[in-house]
Amino acid sequence: MFKTNTKQPQAFITYTGMIWLLAAQLIVMLPFTTSLPPWLIVVVIFAAGWRLRVLSGKATQPNTVIKAVLLLLGIAAIFLSGLRLPSLEAMSALLLLGFAFKALEAVKRRDALVVIFTGYFLVALNFLYSQTMIVGVYGTLSLIVLTGALVGVQQTIEEFTPSQQVRFNFWIAGQILLQCLPLMVLIFVFAPRFQPFWTLPMPMEQNTRGISDRMAPGDIEKLSQSDDLAFRVSFKGERPAQAKLYWQGLVLNYFDGREWRQFANQQAAEELQWSIKLDYAYDPRKLKTQGARYEYEAVYEPSGQPWLFTLNPTTEVQGEVLRAADYRVMAKQPLQSPLLLRAVSHPESIRDLSLAPKLQELALQLPKQGDRRSRELAQRLYAEAGDERAYIQTVLNRFREQPFFYTLNPPLLGETDTIDSFLFDTQRGFCSHYAGSFVFLMRAVGIPARVVIGYQGGEWNEQGKYLAVHQFDAHAWTEVWLAGQGWVRFDPTSMVAPERTEQNLEAALKKEGILLEHSVFSSRKFAWLNSMRKQLDSMQYGWQRWVLSYDQQTQTQFLSKMLGELSFTKLALFILALFGCLVMVWMVWLGLTRKTNPEALEHRLYRRFAEHLGKQGCERRLDQTPHEYAQMAVQVLPQQAEQILAFTQAYQTLCYASEAGQRNSLLKELRRLLGQIR
Amino acid sequence: MFETLQAHFEQMVKQRLPSARTTILDQSKIFIVPSKTALVLLIMIIVLFLLGINFQNSLVYAVCFWLLAMLVVNVLHTWRNLSGLSIKAIHLQPCFAGEKAVLELELACDPQRPKFAIELAWPQEDATQVNLVSTQTTRIKLSHSTQQRGRFTPPRIHIATHYPTGLAVAWSYVAVDLSGLVYPAPAPKNQSTEHSQTLAADQQQSGKELSGGSNDFGGIRSYQAGDTPKHIHWGQYAKTGKLNTKVFVDYASHNLWLDWNNVNLPGIEARLAQLCRQVLDAHQAQQQYGLKLPGMTIAPAKGEAHQARCLQALALFGVDNV
Repeated sequence: MFKTNTKQPQAFITYTGMIWLLAAQLIVMLPFTTSLPPWLIVVVIFAAGWRLRVLSGKATQPNTVIKAVLLLLGIAAIFLSGLRLPSLEAMSALLLLGFAFKALEAVKRRDALVVIFTGYFLVALNFLYSQTMIVGVYGTLSLIVLTGALVGVQQTIEEFTPSQQVRFNFWIAGQILLQCLPLMVLIFVFAPRFQPFWTLPMPMEQNTRGISDRMAPGDIEKLSQSDDLAFRVSFKGERPAQAKLYWQGLVLNYFDGREWRQFANQQAAEELQWSIKLDYAYDPRKLKTQGARYEYEAVYEPSGQPWLFTLNPTTEVQGEVLRAADYRVMAKQPLQSPLLLRAVSHPESIRDLSLAPKLQELALQLPKQGDRRSRELAQRLYAEAGDERAYIQTVLNRFREQPFFYTLNPPLLGETDTIDSFLFDTQRGFCSHYAGSFVFLMRAVGIPARVVIGYQGGEWNEQGKYLAVHQFDAHAWTEVWLAGQGWVRFDPTSMVAPERTEQNLEAALKKEGILLEHSVFSSRKFAWLNSMRKQLDSMQYGWQRWVLSYDQQTQTQFLSKMLGELSFTKLALFILALFGCLVMVWMVWLGLTRKTNPEALEHRLYRRFAEHLGKQGCERRLDQTPHEYAQMAVQVLPQQAEQILAFTQAYQTLCYASEAGQRNSLLKELRRLLGQIR
Repeated sequence: MFETLQAHFEQMVKQRLPSARTTILDQSKIFIVPSKTALVLLIMIIVLFLLGINFQNSLVYAVCFWLLAMLVVNVLHTWRNLSGLSIKAIHLQPCFAGEKAVLELELACDPQRPKFAIELAWPQEDATQVNLVSTQTTRIKLSHSTQQRGRFTPPRIHIATHYPTGLAVAWSYVAVDLSGLVYPAPAPKNQSTEHSQTLAADQQQSGKELSGGSNDFGGIRSYQAGDTPKHIHWGQYAKTGKLNTKVFVDYASHNLWLDWNNVNLPGIEARLAQLCRQVLDAHQAQQQYGLKLPGMTIAPAKGEAHQARCLQALALFGVDNV
């Protein structure tokens, strides 16, 4: 019925087609060099070189044995470069290897299609590693080149010069993809989103960024050197004062004499999930909500870790997250792509009026020995102060009055008695030193206390109306449990460097006369540069907020905001209407609404010429040649003889004797004469 | 079931695509279907969708939907590449049975809508690909094998395009309102040599003398006033004293009659083949010849047009009457 068995001419890849293919391959593979073995690019260049030599007749096509050996070598090399098998990396590497080798044996058009479609797949795969705007733009470019290659291998237009051919392929590919864009957006907005069906191997967690789940002296200082973004928050309505922006990430309960951790046993993320669910779970009954209410949306950068940062306590939260007894919020899986969270917090609420035994035990833990001087100091000060509140005040005052300094480059503290050497010898430290020693001093006299780490403050972006929190905002502070008040936040660092919480790290360090090592703040020095940076950041936030975090929830919210109450018929009609509009736009764009006329312009003009004369009483008989007709017309209409003869002359020249350059001027002449005859 | 479907389809094709000298492909005449390549891409799109779901990755979704949109938009491009194309049948060259009949077509398009990689084909016969880029019209030739003498009506031409990406095929059939002649396949040459002797005999019998010629000696008759002295038979006059005149004649033609009844071969086709051979030979020898077929006689003449007439008569012998 459908005669599809006609042989397609040019079923083989031409030289230009091959060059297209290779260019597309290189462009697709380039971004993988950062996350995968870079020698893969050498493989594709080698394969490409060989193939091009074959096409230009300088080499022969490799036989099956050579191909098999090369492939085996490649596979061996992949495993030697340390990739585990059930991982996304190994999968991508194998796919890339096949992709690269395919160039060597791409002979037929079908092979080219395999390469191009694999290329499309790889462009998508690369987005699993990074989804920034720049990567997005690069991906779009790759798609254009791949589509250009698709056009290029499909047909070669002999009439074009090679450069024209390249421009033509790009033009067609760009045009098609541009026309696809609105439909893509339409599908993107309306296509249903599902929960993952099964878990696939995630990218290997080679680089986790940001705050980790342990705090040794010096850990947070390292973060201060980085101006990477941690997350962005936009508030609905009121925004707390800068000094009150304590973004709690996780609570560190366990101290081993040097390092603070969450629990005694270091746990993997999945294990932690279970233990949180088991006996460290969030209990809303323990929370007495009061005070100001803040509603906000945060988009967290992929950190490779499950920590989320919210204003404590978080009272309402939307999304697939875990909540723990310390009122923190945690993602179920390490963040590999940006995560959007909607939350409501009441920072002035009362938490845990009665302390659960499990939590109390955790909040009183201290190593059996070590830091003798500090323990003695604590006992002495507590005895002098008399009660808990006075004791806390004494300790805080001590930080303020004694020569303690806030510094990014504190002296090293050694392996044991770290609290002692900080409190009595060096007296120079960063927030982790102050928070750690403060909690130590509390626990030493039996007051439940714990270290909290997260971020403090953030940079307000006026253009985008959001708060950007960077790694250098990383901070450690403490919570102390007081009878009748529950958990109360204390930030001993603010005793030493009040600018840290009231303004930011830069202000705090300026006072100390310290410049940041890698000049994190250098771009913030110039007003215009700063404004540009903020503009760019604002765009990136929009990108994350609306593109990357567009999930089921956002979709429902967005659609119901646009359409009111959602129903199937309403949605279907709306989609149909939009699609209809799109089709119209395409038709107009492609000129499909215009009537076409395959008749050459000169013939059309001549027909009109004959019609005009016909109206004046000189009908053309079908068998008359233009010359005969002109003779007749001159006799009937002598007053127009000159134009008639000139027109006929020009028409005949056009039809039978015109040279390439003459055509346009002759056509112009025909038009002019036609106007006179009318 | 399938047959009725096919019959239905044939009916539709006939209705929508009537034969004509000039066909302009428009909306009602173009069919468009996704190609096998598109199906492969669709499978990949589904895989990408699953990837997007499982990694909850918006940009993977975006690539997936972009490719899906491409499948849709591409249909319009492919369709546009075929629509507005005009196909005009120019000429169908006559041929001998068993040879290829060559159809000449003129393709034309709107200059604002150039055409790329248009495939024209008679499936299993001949295929060609053509672009209409710098020129607005172009002529192509397509050949079709023939088996039988008679009138050859070319089958529908399958015209298709995969442009630009090969993800869709737009196709149509063009029925050409033009028929050509297929002459009988001429009998092989060696067979005709023995018959050429009988031809020579025919020639003598059927030659008709035109008197007053000057080439061949025709006989002697008594002198009549006005005879040129050059033709007087002086030798006889010397012997007998009577004036006689030598008469010369021209043969009106070396008139060759190719006669059905003189070909003693079994079967109509064999006879026609033989006659065809004779026509070709006579034409090549630049002889005058006439053709006698049952119920038809073509007076002797020569030249291309005459040959064509004779061959046509042979081609259509017994065909048109039926």
